[in-house]
Amino acid sequence: MSISPNEVPFAGTVPSPKTENEGMITGSWRTRRPILDADKCTECLICWISCPDSSIKAASSGMEFNLKYCKGCGICNEVCPVGAISLVPELDFED
Amino acid sequence: MVSSNKLFEEPGLKQITVWARGVYENKEARDVVVALTEAAAKEGKYVQAWENYVDLPDRIYVPVRAYGKISDQPIESKYVYENETPDIVVLTEETLVKGVDILAGIRPGAVLVVNTKRPPEYLFKFLKKGTENLKSIITVDASSLAKSIITLSGAEGATDASGIGKGLGAPLAAAVVKATGIVEFENLLKIVANKQAAKSAYEKAQVAEVKTLVNAG
Repeated sequence: MSISPNEVPFAGTVPSPKTENEGMITGSWRTRRPILDADKCTECLICWISCPDSSIKAASSGMEFNLKYCKGCGICNEVCPVGAISLVPELDFED
Repeated sequence: MVSSNKLFEEPGLKQITVWARGVYENKEARDVVVALTEAAAKEGKYVQAWENYVDLPDRIYVPVRAYGKISDQPIESKYVYENETPDIVVLTEETLVKGVDILAGIRPGAVLVVNTKRPPEYLFKFLKKGTENLKSIITVDASSLAKSIITLSGAEGATDASGIGKGLGAPLAAAVVKATGIVEFENLLKIVANKQAAKSAYEKAQVAEVKTLVNAG
């Protein structure tokens, strides 16, 4: 082992990954892009905790989508209790 | 030393690459190449059709590929697993023009067939690389002509219980035939299950020359 047993975290728990994985950029999988209606959003964080790819960031200015990794699965749209997230066909956007 | 590009220089060989979305259009991608190669086999040509497992197609929405080879002569490159220089590229879903290098390695005079409602001018904007060898873009709204069949029946070499060309595969294969004449349309109709969708796609598919798209800006 590269670190001594004393330094192994309790129960083997490690901090959640904070870096992006450049080897697995999944943005090209997306056919529908999530769009947030900031007026409806209550910042309940249900989408943030439900996103399987951790592509939603709870920023101080509101929820932000990381489109480099968002696969467009639509779970955020499904779980949003106030219907603030809509899915728009990806080709409607030129960027 | 012989360059690896010229190792299998086969003048009569046509390579077909179909791009699709994992799981959802797994069958449709396979159907396009199977329908075209089965029709070509009826004409006495040498054919191969297979799916790319390197793409890990079990993941929903991942871009996956299915390949076909049609040749007048026996295919010498039959153990080459990927079509490195496709002549025909088919997209079962329009968003694949964005962010996926679909035109990699295409030969001069290659055609691109897309299942879309949008005009070819709009799709052309998203093609960043490889358009110098592209001859034309064929658009057909296959999704309105047939219903996509989501099944893993027939995947990984198992028997396809749903039938070849039951879903989007039939109209897309018909659009390929209209654009390239790679097989006789009559022979394709004998193979595909959804004959009505294939016929209307053959009529409705629109061919846009890339030259005119470039000139239009």
